[in-house]
Amino acid sequence: MDYTELQVTTNFSFLRGGSHPDEYMEQAVMLGYKQIAIADHNTLAGIVRAHVAAKKADIRLIIGCRLELFDAPPLLAYPTDKESYARLSELLSIGNRRAEKGKCHLYKSDVFKQAKGIKFIAIAPLSVNESFDFDDAFKLALKEYRQNLGDALYLGASRSYQSNDTKRMHRLWQLSTSLDIRLVATNDVYYHESERRQLQDVLTCIREKCTIQTAGFKLYPNAERHLKSADEMERLFRQYPDALIATQEIAEACQFSLDSLEYVYPKEITSEWRSPQEELEMLTWQGAKEKFDAKEFERMAKIIDMELEFMERKNYAAYFLTVYDFVRFARSRDILCQGRGSAANSVVCYCLGITSVDPSKFKVLFARFMSDARNEPPDIDVDFEHERREEVIQYIYEKYGRDRAAIVATVTQVHQKGAVRDVAKAMGLSSDAVDRLASCIWEFREQLDGEKVSSEGFDLSDPHLMKVLELTQQYVGFPRQLGQHTGGFIITQDKLSDLCPILNARMENRTNIEWNKDDIEALGFLKVDVLALGMLTCIRKAFDLAKQHYGLELSLASINKQDDPVVYEMISHADTLGVFQIESRAQMSMLPRLRPQCFYDLVIEVAIVRPGPIQGDMVHPYLRRRNGQEKVEYPSEELKEILGRTLGVPLFQEQAMEIAIVAAGFTPAEADGLRRSMATFKAKGKVSDWERKLVEGMIAKGYKEEFARRVFRQLEGFGSYGFPESHAASFALLVYVSSWIKCYYPDVFAAALLNSMPMGFYQPAQIVIDARKNGVEVRPVDINYSDWDNVLEEKAVKYCVLRLGFRQVKGLPAEDVQLLIAARLKPFNNVNALLDAGLTIGALEKLADADCFRSIGLDRRQALWEVSALSDSPIGLFEGQPSESKNEPQLSLPFLTEAAHVVEDYSTTGLSLKAHPVSFVRSQLNSLQVVPTGKLSEMKNGDSIRVAGLITVRQRPGTAKGVLFVTIEDESGFTNLVVWEKVFEKHRRDIIQARLLMVEGKLQIEGEVIHVIANRCFNLSSLLRNMTANTNVEAAVSTLSRSDEKNTEEVFYKGRNFK
Amino acid sequence: MPRYASIWFPYLLTEYVARKEPDTRNVPFVLASRHRGRMVIDAVSELASRNSIRAGMVLADCKAIMPELQMFESEPEKAGNLLNALAEWCVRYSPFVGVDLPDTLILDTSGCTHLWGGEVEYIQTIVSKFKSFGYTAKIAISDTIGTSWAVARFGTEIIVKPGMQSIALKDLSPVALRLEPEILVKLRKLGLQRIGNFIDMPRSALRRRFGSTLPLRIGQALGQEIESILPVKPIEPYQERLSCLEPIPTATGIVIALQQLLETLCMRLESEGIGLRNSVFKAYRIDGNIQQIEIGTGLPSRNVNHLFKLFEHKIVTLEPDLGFELFVLEASKVEPMTAEQAEMWALSTQNDSKVAELLDRVAARIGEQAVCRYLPVEQYWPERSIKLASPLWEKSHTQWRTDWPRPVHLLSKPEPVFAAALLPDYPPMLFRYKGKVHNIIKSDGPERIEQEWWQADGLYRDYYCVEDENGGRYWVFRSGPYNTGQPEWFIHGFFA
Repeated sequence: MDYTELQVTTNFSFLRGGSHPDEYMEQAVMLGYKQIAIADHNTLAGIVRAHVAAKKADIRLIIGCRLELFDAPPLLAYPTDKESYARLSELLSIGNRRAEKGKCHLYKSDVFKQAKGIKFIAIAPLSVNESFDFDDAFKLALKEYRQNLGDALYLGASRSYQSNDTKRMHRLWQLSTSLDIRLVATNDVYYHESERRQLQDVLTCIREKCTIQTAGFKLYPNAERHLKSADEMERLFRQYPDALIATQEIAEACQFSLDSLEYVYPKEITSEWRSPQEELEMLTWQGAKEKFDAKEFERMAKIIDMELEFMERKNYAAYFLTVYDFVRFARSRDILCQGRGSAANSVVCYCLGITSVDPSKFKVLFARFMSDARNEPPDIDVDFEHERREEVIQYIYEKYGRDRAAIVATVTQVHQKGAVRDVAKAMGLSSDAVDRLASCIWEFREQLDGEKVSSEGFDLSDPHLMKVLELTQQYVGFPRQLGQHTGGFIITQDKLSDLCPILNARMENRTNIEWNKDDIEALGFLKVDVLALGMLTCIRKAFDLAKQHYGLELSLASINKQDDPVVYEMISHADTLGVFQIESRAQMSMLPRLRPQCFYDLVIEVAIVRPGPIQGDMVHPYLRRRNGQEKVEYPSEELKEILGRTLGVPLFQEQAMEIAIVAAGFTPAEADGLRRSMATFKAKGKVSDWERKLVEGMIAKGYKEEFARRVFRQLEGFGSYGFPESHAASFALLVYVSSWIKCYYPDVFAAALLNSMPMGFYQPAQIVIDARKNGVEVRPVDINYSDWDNVLEEKAVKYCVLRLGFRQVKGLPAEDVQLLIAARLKPFNNVNALLDAGLTIGALEKLADADCFRSIGLDRRQALWEVSALSDSPIGLFEGQPSESKNEPQLSLPFLTEAAHVVEDYSTTGLSLKAHPVSFVRSQLNSLQVVPTGKLSEMKNGDSIRVAGLITVRQRPGTAKGVLFVTIEDESGFTNLVVWEKVFEKHRRDIIQARLLMVEGKLQIEGEVIHVIANRCFNLSSLLRNMTANTNVEAAVSTLSRSDEKNTEEVFYKGRNFK
Repeated sequence: MPRYASIWFPYLLTEYVARKEPDTRNVPFVLASRHRGRMVIDAVSELASRNSIRAGMVLADCKAIMPELQMFESEPEKAGNLLNALAEWCVRYSPFVGVDLPDTLILDTSGCTHLWGGEVEYIQTIVSKFKSFGYTAKIAISDTIGTSWAVARFGTEIIVKPGMQSIALKDLSPVALRLEPEILVKLRKLGLQRIGNFIDMPRSALRRRFGSTLPLRIGQALGQEIESILPVKPIEPYQERLSCLEPIPTATGIVIALQQLLETLCMRLESEGIGLRNSVFKAYRIDGNIQQIEIGTGLPSRNVNHLFKLFEHKIVTLEPDLGFELFVLEASKVEPMTAEQAEMWALSTQNDSKVAELLDRVAARIGEQAVCRYLPVEQYWPERSIKLASPLWEKSHTQWRTDWPRPVHLLSKPEPVFAAALLPDYPPMLFRYKGKVHNIIKSDGPERIEQEWWQADGLYRDYYCVEDENGGRYWVFRSGPYNTGQPEWFIHGFFA
């Protein structure tokens, strides 16, 4: 007799189901099932995974859902066709939209309304009461179900070997006869095989926030909730054979498959009854006429024709129009945006204004990425100004409605560290042990060769610990929650809930669907990415300032029109602090070597300093070839076409994949699968299979094994930090634009950058130092001159003066600043006037601390003295009378040294215009024979030297095998230190603690690139501490406890740490 | 003019740990506790503090600086308890000893120091005494609590001559005035980094800018404002004595003595809201021999009659010989007896304090082990589903399950039976237990119970409720699956 399991809970019922959908599919096939249903708790999140897995395993999937209702027993629901599926999806959407994220509030009346065409199974309570019967409430509810759902209703019966199983079965049978509801057999499956019971128990503990020792009856008494063979089910239901027949009846009725879902683009995107293709063509030609002059137009027309023809063939017109629609909206609101992705670098996109990468100066990439052979949907990500992206998102919701547009979900998976925490906690380890275990979990992945005890003292022979690790391994990769994709939108013509349930996102005013991008890709839906990019905000602000102060009308496209050698000269000198993408230490040290001369060089620059090329050891060969030190040669003729533009060295992700296809004989789909498997951290075992396949494939075609392994390592690097050429090109455009602004208008650039903080690598202090170095006059924050933002004042010599804004003052509330600016009709001339304007004493203290009262002749200390006396200003009846402090004798406050002022500046605004802190300790540094960083370029390669400075960045990239890169800064500039692992281990404490670091080492000069290779490191932060101290007094005071002194060194930026 | 000493223990908590665990003396370690998900350091040992590790830092950061750093969890309220104990001990140096949390003792030394030969010797004695205990102590003496506190921590001199507070404080940092962090920050910003910078400023100017605390603290330190200490009072043991004019050789005499002592003790217990759990009655014989009898109760009690009954039958074990001259009654273990407790118990049908007293008496006669009580435990495995509970006062965390078939009499260990059952998993048709064959006529099951895998491995059990032809009902199970080898059968309980 055939049997179909209908009650399967996967791990998409978070913390309930104990197996992945694909595990069920494989197990079901093994047991000889022809079909199987998935029914998760109030969600359809897992069904696409199941659908894909079912196809692969060649088994039919029945879509189902377990409806948990507030006012009635749970129901299993199985849509029979597309219409009823839409109703089920709608039902879940209703429940989701009522509740906060992650919950679904449903009532039986909702179900009755959407019931048409859906088969239902009512689920009885797991146990019977003391009189061995079901409670009346259940019987009544069942009766109501029967009245409303008719013969689409079945009554579920399962045998899970609990106590009173037989009595319960008998009662169910009685109910089924008396109410005329057919009995259907299920096994209420929670895991695909019985061994998973342990994990399922642990999941229960995580869910119920208890430990396995205290979970008690929250767990199930046995391991029977696994998939069972038809024979076993037949044996268990030998008294009720009809219940087994009923499973087949339901299975037969439910022929709905996700394949029948159709994705239809919204119609709004076209105008005047044109078809999408006609509309696209019209807009493209219109744009082409505006953007190209006659000569270019002729050349481009051919390419446009070709691209349009391709889009027509693939039916992508609607997709491009949708993107165009967002871009047009953004443009109408003056929101900067920029498309990127394989499809974005087309002439059509340039004509539509989706991208500003000028195809006339850059070989169009479109043809390279879009071909009929690679049957993947077009990929355009559109970046918007990060401060204003929400406007675009709300526009989309508004235009298409929440029932037609939603953000794609991301399924957060459990990571190693989270998994071991959850499992260890559930297994009753102490919180301290959990912490320690989580911190050393990576050790266990290697199975600790030979070692029996981990570094944190865990004993590997302890079976309880081994159980924790074993369960952790099973748990890793489980879906944990549905998140919101950063900006992937899906928009449809009809109701979106016909396709997939919609739910509220955690963020206000956002809704998303239950499926993630892989899911919708598997079903062939198209999504548009609406992303946020900080640099665009900065560029927009720069454009505004340039218009205001220089009368310039700038746009991304206009700046990009020509390659300006002055800009490239600046880039080549690595004068790129603050510039998009090429501002990191690694990029900066690459720039003088690469010396970019044209736009494509920037594209390469962006892509080359990336884990992919670095791990693949592609950087140095490329540099050598570019500088003519090495002959350009190709591993084979067939690769020349692929690698020609990068001098025979694969630098881009596409190239690596093309090599896999051309040289290793991969199919495009396989190449893509390879890239994907790199991206998912968990597929560790599978990666080496790929490696073997790739290397063997390439060797078979006559390539050197060493080359093949390099290609593979590069792919490996690309997995996590993919950087395809098409993205690099779009980024390079922003690199060029931001460089151009910095080059010609450093004042505008600095102001825009400071106003877009936080972003990029650098702190305001470094940006200001850099701006001053480039000839911009910067003035301090002042109550009479500053605005909230940093602003430009009158033009000084060459550039405008940059006036720092109140936003630089830490902890100053924006409301107070608004009051201040509103009251500043004429300049303030005393502190009281500010109080009268309505500012709080706290805000005034902040202003005093930040030394903003200079324009009325008070330094920070005097200002604070004045401000602190304001708290007893006469109020009420006595308002306006002189305060008591007027009568105070003049008290003199200790004089604040310049050095102490600088320290205070740093502690309140993060920067100082008065002097660089290191300049105050220069004399001490001189006596230590420390060389100022500015002098390093005058010295010789290989000199032994000492340098010292404030640490701005500590960086330990994963690609550099334990090497630490430190950037330090003094009053004359900054320099990069290289600390090898051994030196780091020895001087760890100094390096981690230091604000002011001195390094003894060897100078390495390579052209313009200067590094200091550290041999010894010293923490000189104590020098900074002495900057504020009155040393005479200091000597007399015991230094045992100095908790009063806010450690002077601590006001300095701790340095950015990242891996 | 009064004089005050301030004793500061810079490493109080860590030195306490080092005292208890001498191994830690040569390793840098810290005490830390969890704050908002991070381990934050509460106390630092001297070795660790030399590496600029301070309280308030995050443990992980410190470990990065100093990987060899060890960590112990802090015990909350330890400092208070410790200081109280030290204060009681210090009563030998001054009758007025006060505790200033978290790490300081204040002694009123007026008229005390000459007994040790002067203030210097006084301080030296105390410091060396504490040192022998393993505590670092820093002490200073001055006219005021405030100045002593300041100088003990931050000063270089240890004795401030009468009236010289202002000079002693002049060069110290404002933190020595026991001020709130906000005031300290403000003082620092204004450049008033030494007490001398502002101690002479008009108090009204200071009050306007810093609130009333600053002038108050200055006044206290200078002796212009009164500050007093709250002396600790040593806890007296719960003990009553009765000495006799004539030696008492008779049981009647002992009974009277015991009753009298019980009455006074119980009265005292009542006034403090506590009851006793353990009590010792000691009788001192004139020849120097001491004899004692001891009782314990299930619930805290101060019921004279009940306690007397518990003692009563043990009185015969005393051997008066020539007679007892002194009786001492001690409550060696006491517990609070709250009104709520009485109320909660009163809710149940029986008067539990009566039952408790009964059980005390029974247990006193036949031994603690004779009275057993079981409570349900939330575990499926039948042997582990119940636990032995203390006679009365232990409450259950869970209800007895009444919806499952469970026998009234569960064998503590299942006993093997011979059973014959049909395949696959039908109940047995008959089983033989203790030589007697039971033919099954009715049955229910199976109920499958797996081992709690985190506690034990092993086969699952399929339980059946069965009834034989005599109407006897049994709980039997087959161990493991029916289809592998020869499954074993066991009997595990009897139904009513």
